[in-house]
Amino acid sequence: MILRVTFCKKNYLRYIGHLDLMRLFHRSFNRAKIPLKYSEGFNPHPKFSIAHPLSLGIESEEEYMDIDLDYMAVDEFMEKMNEVLPDDIQITKAIYLKKEESIASLISWAFYEINFDIIKDKSKEEIEDIINTWLCKEEIMITKLKKKGKKKIERQENIKNLIGNIVLKEINHNNVIIDTLIKAGDNGNLKPTNLMEALNRDTTLNIDMDSITIKRLGLYAEKDKNIYKPL
Amino acid sequence: MINQKKLDRVLKRVERPARYIGMEQNSVSKDLEKVKVKFAFSFPDIYDVGMSHLGLHILYNLINEEEDFLCERVFAPWTDMEEEMRHENLPLFTLESKEEVRNFDFLGFTLQYEMSYTNILNILDLSKIPLLSKDRTDEDPFVLAGGPCAYNPEPIADFIDFFIIGEGEEVTIEILQVYKEHKEGNWNREEFLKSIAKIQGVYVPKFYDIVYKEDGTIKERITLIEGVPSKIDKRMIKDLDSMFSPEKMIVPFIETVHDRVSMEIFRGCTHGCRFCQAGMIYRPIREKSVDKIVELADKLVESTGYENVSLSSLSSCDYSELYLLITKLMEKFEEKKVGVSLPSLRLDSFSIDILKEIEKVRKSGLTFAPEAGSQRLRDVINKGITEEDLVNTVSYVFKEGWSTIKLYFMVGLPTETDEDVMGIKDLAYKVKDMFFDLPKEERKGNLKVTASASCFVPKPFTPFQWVGQESMDEFYRKIYLVKNSIKDNKVTFNYHDPKLSYLEAIIARGDRRISKLILRAWEKGCKFDGWSEHFKYDTWIETLKELDMDGDFYALRNRSLEENLPWDFINPGVSKEYLIREYKRSIEEQTTPDCRDKCRGCGIKGCTMIGGENN
Repeated sequence: MILRVTFCKKNYLRYIGHLDLMRLFHRSFNRAKIPLKYSEGFNPHPKFSIAHPLSLGIESEEEYMDIDLDYMAVDEFMEKMNEVLPDDIQITKAIYLKKEESIASLISWAFYEINFDIIKDKSKEEIEDIINTWLCKEEIMITKLKKKGKKKIERQENIKNLIGNIVLKEINHNNVIIDTLIKAGDNGNLKPTNLMEALNRDTTLNIDMDSITIKRLGLYAEKDKNIYKPL
Repeated sequence: MINQKKLDRVLKRVERPARYIGMEQNSVSKDLEKVKVKFAFSFPDIYDVGMSHLGLHILYNLINEEEDFLCERVFAPWTDMEEEMRHENLPLFTLESKEEVRNFDFLGFTLQYEMSYTNILNILDLSKIPLLSKDRTDEDPFVLAGGPCAYNPEPIADFIDFFIIGEGEEVTIEILQVYKEHKEGNWNREEFLKSIAKIQGVYVPKFYDIVYKEDGTIKERITLIEGVPSKIDKRMIKDLDSMFSPEKMIVPFIETVHDRVSMEIFRGCTHGCRFCQAGMIYRPIREKSVDKIVELADKLVESTGYENVSLSSLSSCDYSELYLLITKLMEKFEEKKVGVSLPSLRLDSFSIDILKEIEKVRKSGLTFAPEAGSQRLRDVINKGITEEDLVNTVSYVFKEGWSTIKLYFMVGLPTETDEDVMGIKDLAYKVKDMFFDLPKEERKGNLKVTASASCFVPKPFTPFQWVGQESMDEFYRKIYLVKNSIKDNKVTFNYHDPKLSYLEAIIARGDRRISKLILRAWEKGCKFDGWSEHFKYDTWIETLKELDMDGDFYALRNRSLEENLPWDFINPGVSKEYLIREYKRSIEEQTTPDCRDKCRGCGIKGCTMIGGENN
């Protein structure tokens, strides 16, 4: 049976990369004695997958993982897992799927909170104006580096359609917090760091790039123009 | 606590930031205000290497068992992290509470290899602790060091306040206890050092002075204050079963060198290989019982979630009830998909049954260490294995489906001739031929034979402690002799950098004057010397010249048996007479068989081997 769970990844544990997180879960399943299903073959692997892995250094309130296991009550699963997991990585929800649909293919949007300092104080209106004008541009280009063997190829990409919205959430002197919904997954993907680089390059916001802290608030699926949570 | 905003900024910019965050499974979190003694344990290399050290896990848990004591970890930050920390003026901190190292009572280093000594200075500097022991005040932590390299403490005597010689489990707690009492009473740095100098296994260098002869050798050691021992006896645990053994170990978030449960099954070694320092200093042999090991392994697997248990010791196949142990472990773990691995296999005691048992779970490459290419030279170094052993074992493993074989050798061993050196190639080719001599349908996999040669470094407390190291030119000549003779794409030949081995030889058998060399080399930018990309040979040589020191005096010189050696004041339990006897036998190409059969009179106390004369 497939159990779909959400979990958070906070504080210092945002510095653990995706592969290390997979190993952490694997060991935690062992310690919590979760009846995982294993792949067949010479070197059997437990069957679980995490959707749209976070980049190193980004916190998250809500990540998704599908786990293939023999039935175990949801409450018991959560209790056992949260006991062995670190405080900053905890399972927040778990539901058995009625219809199997891979979590990775479902995700198409990611919602982020981005906190940063600007070099010179600006008013709320000024900042909103700068952002909205920027979003109205016909194209917003970024440069992507693509590795082809040893060669690195630069490629230009218009990200305008990958940005859902940017909302100014809070401003306190030179500290700014925005929320942004951007594309994620196989059908268009934008990294929040690339978004910030482009915003800083094209506008007069003057962002202290070292101060940027990113938190993922959630991941979303889309069906018939409706955006919804996959759990 | 250090400035967290700065730390966050720094972590964003460095490679593998999880090296610096702590918080792993089974790491401790204690209230700094409530504990009475704070101990920072340091492995002077990066996290990934240091976390694979078994001793760390033992001492960490041992100290933290005590309510009043706290042990936290600190490693050498990798160069990118160091740069960022210096840029932000962020002092070095412990992983657990992110507290500045200098606010601890003790900073203890484990000395696993000589080429980590510059990292010790770098760690002190990043912690803003005075580099020289004589410059430290009541405000500074005590800097101590232990581990195998502490058997010759002199090369870093200027930097270390006191050394622990031998096994640390009991003595560390004794020292911390004394400290606690001192702190509660009339506290004084000097008085504390005086009182612990009386504890067996503790060496405080500042209480001694050295007088040199005109030729640079040691005339005598002088004891400067009364009541401290002139000879330092090592510490040793009597019974491993009743000794503290951790039931949990910290599980790193990132992949480290040994990503598995590591369990000690015995200490000591009975083979008496004449180049091997560990084989001498860890005597006598003491085993943990099968039941104890199985019980601990089970608890460790439970508390870590690891899927592999590695049984560690100097020569795992010597464990007297190995077959029983392996069978019991496999029984227990097969269901849980937990694998068991045995590093340090020897060809001679290689048990085919054991290999078969282990193989049920996982099959990896096999490594053997004949150490020398010819039988003559293996006799000189007392590596009691024969070509026949190798042939038997290798033909078996090929039939069983292994196809990746690694062979370890040394070059520059005493009495070595070109013929001995060429034996490396001959052995590697022999292994290759054995594979292809099998009928085609019996060969499995793709054969890969790797022969690796390291450059012999004579070490203190071995029968070769008097021997001069091979010169660099000779090392290169011999290495190329083998390298150029191997012309087969199934056989690879690797070798270690002779330059690094030369420096290692200088420091390993150095005296107190070597402290100045290490300090100056560090000032000129040397660190992570054990990492080929950071090793600055030219800077070291330049520093030797600048200080008017002769590296060859330490590395290449043959010592007479009468010379006062810098480490003679340490008593490792094995007698000097035994080492001399073994040295003489080596020159005569006489082997000394394993002491499990008959006592060889090495002088160690508390040995329980059959026929041990000192029981």
